Amino acid sequence: MSLSNAQRQKLLLIPIYIALTVAGIFTLIPFAWLVCAAFKSNADIFTSNFLPLGDGFLGVAWTRLTLVNFVRLFKELGIGVALTNSVFLSATSALLATFCCSLAGYALAKFRFAGRGLVMSLVLAALVVPGSLLMAPGYKLLYDLGLLNSFAGLILPGLTPAFGVFLFRQAMVNAVPATLIESARIDGAGEFRIFFTIVLPLVRPMIGAYLMITFLGTWNNFIGPQIVLQDPASFPLSVAINQLRGLYGTDYGLIMSGTMISIAPVLALFLLLQKEFIAGLTSGAVKG
Amino acid sequence: MSVLSRLRAFFAVTTPAVWVLLALLLGAAGLIAGRPGARATGMSHWLFAKGHVPAYAPIFERWNAEQPTPATQFESLLIDGPAMERRMLSAFMSGTPVADLVETERSMACRAFTGPLEDVGFVDLTDRLKAEGLMDKINGPSFAPWTSRGRIFGLPHDVHPVMLVYRADLVEAAGIDLSKVETWAEFFAAMRPLMADGDGDGRPDRYLLNFWPNNRDLMELLLLQAGGGLFDADEHVAIATERNAFVLVSLATWCGGPRRIAVDAPDFTAAGNTLRLRGVVVAALMVDWLAGVWKLDMPELSGKLRLMPLPAWEKGGRRTSVVGGTMLGISKASKNIEASWALAKRLYLDPEVHAAFFKRTTIIPPFKSSWSHPAFSAPDPFFGGQPSGQLYISQAGNVPTRPASPYNLPALLRVNEVLIELADRVVREDISDPAVLLPEARERLAEAQNRVEKMINRNVFLHPEAPAR
Amino acid sequence: MPAPAARPASASTTVVRRYRAEPVWVPWVFLAPFLLSFGVFLVWPLIQSVVLACQQTFGPKSTAWVGFANFSFLLHDPLFWKAVSNTAIFAAGSVFLQLPVSLGLALLLNRPGLRGRTVFRLVFFAPSLVGLVFVGLLFALIFAPRTGLVNSVLHDFFPAFDPEFPWLQIYVMPALILAALWLYAGFNMVYFLAALQGVPEELMEAAALDGAGPWHRFRHIVLPEILPVGTFVVLMSLLGSLQLFELPYILLTGSGPDNRGLTIVMYLYDNGFVTGDLGYASAVGWVLALLMGSFALGQRWLNKRQEES
Repeated sequence: MSLSNAQRQKLLLIPIYIALTVAGIFTLIPFAWLVCAAFKSNADIFTSNFLPLGDGFLGVAWTRLTLVNFVRLFKELGIGVALTNSVFLSATSALLATFCCSLAGYALAKFRFAGRGLVMSLVLAALVVPGSLLMAPGYKLLYDLGLLNSFAGLILPGLTPAFGVFLFRQAMVNAVPATLIESARIDGAGEFRIFFTIVLPLVRPMIGAYLMITFLGTWNNFIGPQIVLQDPASFPLSVAINQLRGLYGTDYGLIMSGTMISIAPVLALFLLLQKEFIAGLTSGAVKG
Repeated sequence: MSVLSRLRAFFAVTTPAVWVLLALLLGAAGLIAGRPGARATGMSHWLFAKGHVPAYAPIFERWNAEQPTPATQFESLLIDGPAMERRMLSAFMSGTPVADLVETERSMACRAFTGPLEDVGFVDLTDRLKAEGLMDKINGPSFAPWTSRGRIFGLPHDVHPVMLVYRADLVEAAGIDLSKVETWAEFFAAMRPLMADGDGDGRPDRYLLNFWPNNRDLMELLLLQAGGGLFDADEHVAIATERNAFVLVSLATWCGGPRRIAVDAPDFTAAGNTLRLRGVVVAALMVDWLAGVWKLDMPELSGKLRLMPLPAWEKGGRRTSVVGGTMLGISKASKNIEASWALAKRLYLDPEVHAAFFKRTTIIPPFKSSWSHPAFSAPDPFFGGQPSGQLYISQAGNVPTRPASPYNLPALLRVNEVLIELADRVVREDISDPAVLLPEARERLAEAQNRVEKMINRNVFLHPEAPAR
Repeated sequence: MPAPAARPASASTTVVRRYRAEPVWVPWVFLAPFLLSFGVFLVWPLIQSVVLACQQTFGPKSTAWVGFANFSFLLHDPLFWKAVSNTAIFAAGSVFLQLPVSLGLALLLNRPGLRGRTVFRLVFFAPSLVGLVFVGLLFALIFAPRTGLVNSVLHDFFPAFDPEFPWLQIYVMPALILAALWLYAGFNMVYFLAALQGVPEELMEAAALDGAGPWHRFRHIVLPEILPVGTFVVLMSLLGSLQLFELPYILLTGSGPDNRGLTIVMYLYDNGFVTGDLGYASAVGWVLALLMGSFALGQRWLNKRQEES
């Protein structure tokens, strides 16, 4: 029996599919539990690990599944307000941070000026400053600046994270040829025009990747908003969902349906950005 | 170039995600801008316990309606515990905004007592309480967690006495009579038949008590019941005592070795609740607020449970203990301390509120004149018709006192480490006699005491005479 | 793309002046947002924290200068060293378990001819989309004794397995490492996958024709190619691991029994914020910053050596 090279290759793929599927199942088990719990009433949550058992199709009591958790979230608990806040906060933070980081990254990657080395070492130093070190003086600072209880108090401190400046600088060193910038200058293009029409399109994958990173970070940020925001009407989703964990007992069904709602938008964004995200991560991670 | 292709070229400059996010941003901003502005009230109230909100809502409504101007109207705000703690401490330390009235919990409040007495962020209520005769009207031990160096900084919300709850259905089926049980030893001896191994997997099907070495709240509860504890009445560390050593070695043998009777069924967790529903754990230490939690989380147990006073450590010993506690404090930065005090008394000293609150949470108030309210004598179907209110009230006066040291948590952690080490050894060496462990317990407690003392002695404000080392 | 407005005069000048120097102010304008937010939200609080680290404080009125007492107390506190060792265990788990798993998944996904790559990639990345609150809640349920998914399944398959296996009581760090594996493996996999896609395929094919086995190809072609990304991911994992806080904080609701889940940042919290001693918290923070800085310097040094060799 002889196998063609292509057939042998195909056979070799089988164990790989098996390994990937097993790993995939392990990854997805918690999600399956999450989705099942979101559709169960409180009485059913712990009687079965996944779907409630009964005599319906496949031995599952389908009739006991319920949408009550979602209805309660939107009708009683007004989770829509928190959703709007989260969208606003995350979109603003992501766009502003990506823009400001790309500006700074460009300056560090493509300009030679006195003090560049110093600024670059500041960026690197900032990478290793633990956030917990800034927590105590940070709150007082926000108060002094009048930024407590405002979205600005959350957005401004994260305007240009050193990590983002670093990533954009790495991406631009490699992706933006100096000759292109020079010839644009020779053509008389203004500096900002060069930045917007030549530089930014070249680092499009990095833009996608960094948008994703900051959006996700802001979306799931949990401690920050709790400290800065004081008015429940301005709480984002992460805080609102945690508040469903009452001091007296935990309503798992509500939390799980809330978590589902909070995953959906980031999942959509990831699907939109998947290709660029991956290309962007590499362009930022190569040595420079 | 046509307009369309120009537009397409414009949008193609960057990733579509940018435009999607921009559209989302503008949409959300529009929704946020369209929201009605918040009502301006002059004063505010913070609380962390969700269950308290509906109880207070009508009082706030009535109060606000009575006020001639918004200046003395109150807005009540529910904040997550850790966030409230951060804000409260930040306010007391660096003057950031804080509510006029802060309802806070024992472990949070004590952190406000780290500095010099005159820098405590809460208004000292001692003189008001004395002048208005409230000291005698409120259950004495309930003031303890809010008292630092002899001054009282909060109005107590509760007593939180502890009883023992057990599965009467299982106990009766086994023909066990608990009516003569007075001590832990008698309790375990009487209940022993319930620990049979019916399914033959080599492990008992049931365990007698929900307790585990890592559950430091229950450990503290049992230490306090026995007359041990972490601090003496003068707020000095009192970890290395013979009493503590005795209790810890006993607890260690509860959790391992041939005399094991305990199982880990943590409260508030799905895992713990499942064990309770299955009857794997027969009895539990039940503080009044926990009874309310069980009613909500495990309605299936209704009627199967009974309450009894805790078995004592020795005959004639204390039959109750205490866990947790909530107070209402007035911040010194309050715009109107008198209005805050007036509202605080309405929130905390109204028998009707207490009765309604008890019906929902099974929590008894520390305000003695409320205790005669019929709600507290009503039969409680969850506990098979026992009058749960009166049962808890009968123990209120015996609740042990706990000094409000800001170092309570570190001290508790150190003692808990000792218990965990002892329990590990019990499992390792299969020990049944607690006395074997005593020398090690004494030694470890002495070390723990030393470490906590070192930590406290660093504080130049609590001990102005001793410079920092 | 609309062409720059034609200016008849410019054509001749460009010929004369072939090169227009970049104006000095331009980079500074581009850097302005960074420098501003860097100065206000990083440098300024950092300066304050230096001062704080040498103080004992309870509000502006009660501040005492204690010099290096905070640091010397810290270095003599056995708990701090426990936190350091726990954090080190977690970091080791991240580097030696999570990253190999990530790399392995990436290698599998990178097989030529594999279908459904996008779907698998999405599946493995999905945990990164979830907030930590959910992860904490979920793993508390999964690792629960008797009723938890892990213990009940293992006990059903292997009756000898103790259904009370104390994941969250004794094997706290392994439980945390497993939770982190689920949470972060997919994210790091994406890094490796992106790097692998940069490995020239012709090189691999040529090596295969020469009879080089899979290990040989990995060792001599793939590894050198992905090494820069690799060291970057290792550094990021290390820096992240050193700051581990929220995951155990939510999963264990604190530092865990006998401080078996105590990490450096949690130590900072418990001993700084709990007792209101912000000075002490700052001192711990500075020690952590030094640790992180030394790892970053180490990575740069390694990179330099690779470039030279």
